[in-house]
Amino acid sequence: MSIVTDLLAKPGVIAAGEYAYRGDRFSYRGALTEEHARMASIMCRATTMGVNMEGKMLEVFQPRSGLQPPRGWMVHGADYTVCVMANVFCMLDNARASINDIVGFMRQTVANAPSDLI
Amino acid sequence: MATLDELMRLPAAMAAFEFRGSGELLDQRIAYPERINETTLDLLAHMCAANMSIATMQARGWEKVTAMKGFYPIQEFTLVGFDWSVVVSGFRREQLKSEGKTSLPPFMGVVLGNEKADYEAAFAVLEGREPIS
Repeated sequence: MSIVTDLLAKPGVIAAGEYAYRGDRFSYRGALTEEHARMASIMCRATTMGVNMEGKMLEVFQPRSGLQPPRGWMVHGADYTVCVMANVFCMLDNARASINDIVGFMRQTVANAPSDLI
Repeated sequence: MATLDELMRLPAAMAAFEFRGSGELLDQRIAYPERINETTLDLLAHMCAANMSIATMQARGWEKVTAMKGFYPIQEFTLVGFDWSVVVSGFRREQLKSEGKTSLPPFMGVVLGNEKADYEAAFAVLEGREPIS
């Protein structure tokens, strides 16, 4: 099974998808329209590119910092959380999802994902 | 509201810090000065302030476009690094704004080691839902 299928099977995951770092492709499953999923993938990709650039700047200040290279990021709202690791994103319903489990699963699954295309 | 000392009691806490919305570091606690220093925290605070602002803008736009509610305002932004994560929160500020207050506390953040990081506990402490013993 793909990581997106695995994620969607977890409690509280309402949508999940993948995007290409170069920005020309995305795929998704779950409770989003195609257009909304496209917008979500663009926002996730933009933020991923941003935090990777920032991580490189941080590395200059403090070499071998445990934050570099960034693996992903999350934004936590009152009802929903967006969690992104490498080029995989998912949207969580806070009331039903375990954020710790999802982050742990994604970190483990994308641990060896190449980052040379970022 | 969480204090820096409370944040330092989270599992795997390496540093805790306060910063302005414009990114300036105001105060900090550092558990391992040989691994993370004040200069690093200052840049990290600026990074987190920028990402909170961008995420807030995106959440605002997303809610308008999709009519899905529950993203805005962003309560926490988390950067998951290779070995460490940083979680920052503006929750208390948003709460006070919604009460009409104009004098707002700083943003707060905590750096955690990934292996033992408990993100939900960090959110709870940053939001003042769970005092940590």
